[in-house]
Amino acid sequence: MEKILDTLLSVGIAVGASAALWVAANLLFNQVTTNWRRFNTAAGATIGFLLMVVLDGNRLLRSLGPGSDTIGTIPAFLWTPFIGAIVVGVIAGYLSSVDDPGRRLLISVASFGLLGVVIGLLLEDAYKPSFDHVALVGWTVGLVAVGAVLSALRERPPLSGALIGGALGWIVGSFGSATLGTGSTAEAVIGAAVPAAALGWRFGRTPNADDATRGRIDNGSRAFIFLAPALVFIAVTLVVPTIRTIYLSLLDRDSEDFIGFDNYQSVFTDVDSFDVGSWTNIFTSRLFLIGMVILAFALAVAWFGRKSSGKAFEVGGPAIGPLVIAIFLLVFAVFSVLRGTIMNNLWWVFTVTLMSTALGLAIAVLADRGRFESVAKSIIFMPMAVSLVGASIIWRFMFVARNENKPQTGVLNAIWVGLGRLSTGNGLPTLLFGAAMAAIGLGFLALLAKSLVRRQWNRIPLLGLAFAGMSWFLIRFYSSGVGGIRTNASGELKANPILFVQEPPFNNVWLMVILIWIETGFAMVILSAAIKAIPSELIEAARVDGADDSQIFWRVTLPQIATTIGVVVTTLIVLVMKVFDIVKVVTNGNFGTQVLANDMFQVAFSFTDTGRGAALAVILFLSVLPVMYFNIRRMQREEV
Amino acid sequence: MTAVKSLSPLSGMGATIRRLLRSVKNWFSRLGASIYSSLRSVPTWILWLVVSIWSLPSVGLLVNSFQTRDAQRAGGWWKVLTGQGDFTLDNYNTVLRADTSAKLTDSLLNSLAIAVPATIIPIAIAAFAAYAFAWIDFKGRLWMFIAVVSLLAVPLQVALIPLLQLYVGGAHLTLPFLHKTITLVPDFDLAGTTTAVWLTHAGFALPFAIFLLHNYISQLPADLFEAARIDGADHFTIFWRLVLPLSVPVLAAFGIFQFLWTWNDFLIANTMAGSNPDATPTTIRIANLAGDFGRNEHLLPAAAFVQAFVPLGVFMGLQRYFVRGLLAGSVKG
Repeated sequence: MEKILDTLLSVGIAVGASAALWVAANLLFNQVTTNWRRFNTAAGATIGFLLMVVLDGNRLLRSLGPGSDTIGTIPAFLWTPFIGAIVVGVIAGYLSSVDDPGRRLLISVASFGLLGVVIGLLLEDAYKPSFDHVALVGWTVGLVAVGAVLSALRERPPLSGALIGGALGWIVGSFGSATLGTGSTAEAVIGAAVPAAALGWRFGRTPNADDATRGRIDNGSRAFIFLAPALVFIAVTLVVPTIRTIYLSLLDRDSEDFIGFDNYQSVFTDVDSFDVGSWTNIFTSRLFLIGMVILAFALAVAWFGRKSSGKAFEVGGPAIGPLVIAIFLLVFAVFSVLRGTIMNNLWWVFTVTLMSTALGLAIAVLADRGRFESVAKSIIFMPMAVSLVGASIIWRFMFVARNENKPQTGVLNAIWVGLGRLSTGNGLPTLLFGAAMAAIGLGFLALLAKSLVRRQWNRIPLLGLAFAGMSWFLIRFYSSGVGGIRTNASGELKANPILFVQEPPFNNVWLMVILIWIETGFAMVILSAAIKAIPSELIEAARVDGADDSQIFWRVTLPQIATTIGVVVTTLIVLVMKVFDIVKVVTNGNFGTQVLANDMFQVAFSFTDTGRGAALAVILFLSVLPVMYFNIRRMQREEV
Repeated sequence: MTAVKSLSPLSGMGATIRRLLRSVKNWFSRLGASIYSSLRSVPTWILWLVVSIWSLPSVGLLVNSFQTRDAQRAGGWWKVLTGQGDFTLDNYNTVLRADTSAKLTDSLLNSLAIAVPATIIPIAIAAFAAYAFAWIDFKGRLWMFIAVVSLLAVPLQVALIPLLQLYVGGAHLTLPFLHKTITLVPDFDLAGTTTAVWLTHAGFALPFAIFLLHNYISQLPADLFEAARIDGADHFTIFWRLVLPLSVPVLAAFGIFQFLWTWNDFLIANTMAGSNPDATPTTIRIANLAGDFGRNEHLLPAAAFVQAFVPLGVFMGLQRYFVRGLLAGSVKG
């Protein structure tokens, strides 16, 4: 309970104080057009207050009041700022009613100079500078020149910029480049009074604002007030840290020595992050061989297809299905051999992006205008609401593998081991299951025959592949057996579950399944919206022209939603590239499942190797940059 | 005719047979039609198959969350279908009661303490900025807006190390040539607090929030603003009285998206507050529970559902806004 109150209180204070500050700033600048003197007084008071907060807060000034902590009931640390606020407020307020240029300049220079003298007198001994005259003159002259040039470039009188530059240069020259704590009071007074007087001169030169100028101040200040909180936040949390990360990535692990690109080099030479040494194994892997066979099949189909339609490969054509399957298998063959963090990331991007988009599209099409469309879509979409940590926990229970003597509690292994028991058993269930599978196989064969008779060439390659796969399954089922069962040394049949999480390299794929489970809903919702936005006249016209469902899908629907598919794909690429939570929770990067984001987190925060962690972050940044650039360009074209 | 009539008993039988045949034929054709229609609805069957596969993991976890530890270990959750389950509320009780080691209550509060300010503050700040970019004329407006939107490309990993350093020790700048170090931001001792987490969230949310809100606010009718100006309203009044009330839908969409994002976040919370058990939100608590080498394994389902209760509630109740925010939020960096 106490914790709730504490939390509420601190949040309330933070939000309330920021809101009050912002509203106050608005009210202050409302005075510009209504009451010039009040605005000047209030603005001067604010500046005086802030100046004294900075000076006093850093213990630069001797305490004004008596030595106690409070004066009256007001804490001492508020005293000096209040005095500063009153003094500067009065000066500014008085100046706002002086219109004669000469008097204005004189009063301004004198009062600001006096303020500088007082500050110089009050300066703590530890901060009194002993001047380095060369540096003092050098900085002042240099910044005067810079200020004058800047003013001239902005087509303002050069003196304005020169005065501000001079004040800055004097402060830097007298305090910045001098040894502090050894100087005299006179030097402190000179150091503070000269820039104060220069600023007073600058302020006194400007006449009181006329109506047009006031309008400009009102408008300009409003842009500033409305933007400043956002810009400050963005600068502190995004811009500066990004620049600093790039800088840190060029330093060593303790950020002490500059080592150039060594961090990057070590990432790419480390076998943990980039291991392509055994690339020859790709060509002997089973995936590769099956992939090549299917690829050859696809090419053969393409060759024959070209004779009839004139195009070898065509969206929705007969050769595309086998081609996609072949490419998928070949890519998996490559990624299961080439290991390392970077390869894992690419594998994630390829698989999750492709599968989520394809599944999402398929579900969107299947559910479109169905009876329980919204229910089905809600269920598919629900994983989006669950945290990635929660999803990982959910799937942990799917992936559980227990030893051979215990019952399997994970669904997947229960099915796998159950399948093994079925295929090695000879009871009624085995018979029924075999019969059902055979029926499905025969169904494929029947469909194949029907397509052949009706000359629906587009369906034949995929049906053929399905039939071949089913036959292979049945042969295995009745000969050597399928599934998670093995014969141990004493000839007993034992459960042989799959270690979904621990067994590289395909444990990566099982982790990807979690993200596919989540992101399919996302792809489905977006693609479904796009499909519904296709004008119905278009579909009807195609139907009148005699197009069947699959032709409508490939020739009308798909081209219409091509841009949206692009959006989904690019979004997913960026999202998957940064995958972190799933790997962190399920394996923490062990068993060959490391990815860039988790590697970066471990290296930077567990092994405290700041340099390499920063380098990994920059690599991540650079790898999403092209896609993000593309994405942002598109957003701006569409919506701004 | 007479012959026919004389055969009347037989012809009657023939009619009966014919009727019978017809009804059998009808029955067959109806069977055929229903088989055909069920074949035609194969896509629907596939859809429902996919839907059941999709809900299987969650359903299993939900069932397990109500099972005793022993029942969870004795067999799969599907055993309850055959009546072998052993239901209990103990898991939820353990997870939600304040005096157990596996409690989530504190971390639920932490999650709230992070998610609420991390939602409200960026909404307010982004609304100001979006209004300025849309309706206040100032120099460099376009390029500044493009610069802000371009920051969407920065993955948050890039900012984590320096931000953590900022929270741990403040920010100091060693001036070039002068060799003096000045403190830009003093050390507020924020490392390991929920404040550090929501500050980070608030900052990271801004480019996207500004982009989203700007799209909406800039589409508001310009006549409205002119009329208000003629009536003497200043920017502050226009923003407060006109823009905010009109932008409620987009504010809600962004708010829901941001709330869920921060509630479900793991990376930022783990970086900024992971070391301090008193400030960790539920996601980290659950991840730690999962790493306890199986000791608390039986509590995980209940804990996961407690954590997911808030987002699922938002999902069920405000699905329309949720989807809208999510669609728009898909571009977040």
